[in-house]
Amino acid sequence: MDTKEAVLDILNELTGEDLSDQMDDNLFDSGLLDSMATVQMLLELQEKTGITAPVSEFNRDEWSTPNKIIEKVESLRNE
Amino acid sequence: MIKDVIKAIDQIASDDPNRIAYEYLGKTNTYGDLKKRSDAYAAKIKELNLADKAPIMIWGGQTFEMVASFLGAVKAGHAYIPIASYSNSERLTMIQEVSQSPAVIAIDKLPIEMKDIKILEPEQVVDGDFEIDPANFVEGDDNFYIIFTSGTTGKPKGVQISHDNLLSFVNWEASDFKLPENPSFLAQAPYSFDLSVMSLYPALTAGGKLVVLPHEVTENIGQLFQTLPKLHFNVWVSTPSFAEMCFLDPTFDQKHHPELTHFLFCGEELSHKTAQMLKKKFPDSHIYNTYGPTETTVAVTQVEITDDILNKYDRLPIGVAKEDTKISIDTSKGEVENQGEVVISGPSVSKGYLNNPDKTKAAFYQNDADNYPSYRAGDLGFLDGDMLFYRGRIDFQVKFNGYRIELEEINFYLAKNPLVRYGVVAPKYNKDHKVQQLVAVVELASGVRRKYSDGELSKKLREDLSKDIMPYMLPQRFIFREEMPISQNGKVDIKQVIKEVNNA
Repeated sequence: MDTKEAVLDILNELTGEDLSDQMDDNLFDSGLLDSMATVQMLLELQEKTGITAPVSEFNRDEWSTPNKIIEKVESLRNE
Repeated sequence: MIKDVIKAIDQIASDDPNRIAYEYLGKTNTYGDLKKRSDAYAAKIKELNLADKAPIMIWGGQTFEMVASFLGAVKAGHAYIPIASYSNSERLTMIQEVSQSPAVIAIDKLPIEMKDIKILEPEQVVDGDFEIDPANFVEGDDNFYIIFTSGTTGKPKGVQISHDNLLSFVNWEASDFKLPENPSFLAQAPYSFDLSVMSLYPALTAGGKLVVLPHEVTENIGQLFQTLPKLHFNVWVSTPSFAEMCFLDPTFDQKHHPELTHFLFCGEELSHKTAQMLKKKFPDSHIYNTYGPTETTVAVTQVEITDDILNKYDRLPIGVAKEDTKISIDTSKGEVENQGEVVISGPSVSKGYLNNPDKTKAAFYQNDADNYPSYRAGDLGFLDGDMLFYRGRIDFQVKFNGYRIELEEINFYLAKNPLVRYGVVAPKYNKDHKVQQLVAVVELASGVRRKYSDGELSKKLREDLSKDIMPYMLPQRFIFREEMPISQNGKVDIKQVIKEVNNA
């Protein structure tokens, strides 16, 4: 599964919405992600994509849209 | 056993004034500071000449000043109503309306102007050598604190907790949890949430310390995981959800937190999976599951989750009642044999809801022969010997991220929205029986559908709701339907909607 598909699957599970047509929408502003849901998302990403989420350097702004999350996961995968 | 909560705390201040009572992100305050500052608050409150025993609202976060003002209020003979300053102004005015409180202590700046009531700010409270006569203290059946829960049809309910209610709770926690001497506690829950009382008074009456993890920090994951490893304490108190969140931090284990020996959970169901994970990370710790509605003072049952219990049960027990309390099951309210509504009787059961005799009568009773009141918890459970098990709710109240939410309250505001014809909020459960998200199922008013996209509608409804309800009550997800299921009595069939949301 590619990163985009994995991220969208996880977000769909968490928010109940297919976000493929809202790739640049801010998920925190719209209320779709709160801190509990963000944690769930990171746990799922760890499990499904094998990344280690940088929790102590976590900066919400870098994870605020589906596109940004995909970009972040890919850069963590290449580390 | 202590006999008086306020005197017990003051006693520690006189015996050992330099002992640390409070630690807030590196800043510490002693028991001496606490006595001095709470006496100053009490003296200032006396000067306000408020009506006898009238409750005082206190608006703020989790700073030392907040706790000093709580104790100041009760030393001056007034119950306090803690309101977290991340709440909306609507909640503040609504609580004022219900409580008829004549004063508010604004530890944080008030979000609105409040007319006709007295406002006290910390700068007006000047330290001095005040001796407060203990005859003024809140005692016996007098209210000590009043915590507002969410209520149906928009009116929050103020649960009145007396000094003696609190005393019964504090003595139980001191005796039944094998806590270390002078324990230090994690203080993570906001003070408007009674889970905070599980840390606050057991710590202060035992000469212990409160180590604060403020709400602003826990809201920001980066900050949370920078701060958590630096905090040191013996007793963890939180909802299971909060502990699960901390599992993300690879240093959240016994090796990095060797002083952490006890975990106390309350506020929502502790899942087998979470307890097992915690046992793996902290193999030598004592993990306690507890249960109790706010109306019976924080918690009334406890059980240590041992390996035996983990092996024996898939869904964990919620505990054995404290010695002074009786739990019975009203099986007339259940559908499965031996299951029914949990009824709690004992000295920590509240006298009822402030200025709300109807709701009090609906949930509390005391027969002539009874020494203590009884509270109908609305929780579905059963007893195996003296061990209590939880199986859900008999009404539409849910626990979500530890917060108690009356779904009908959200429905009420949803239905008031001009875009909405019918609206029902349904909890979506995960396989551990925990609410994972709140889903609003909406039938739109006619003509609305064509004007907006689903995304726009969700955003608009969420924005409108946020003016009336607490942020933790906002639905994560909106589903728009052509038609709602209708029950035999012609109303929207809420149970059917909930069923459909969970089978989808």
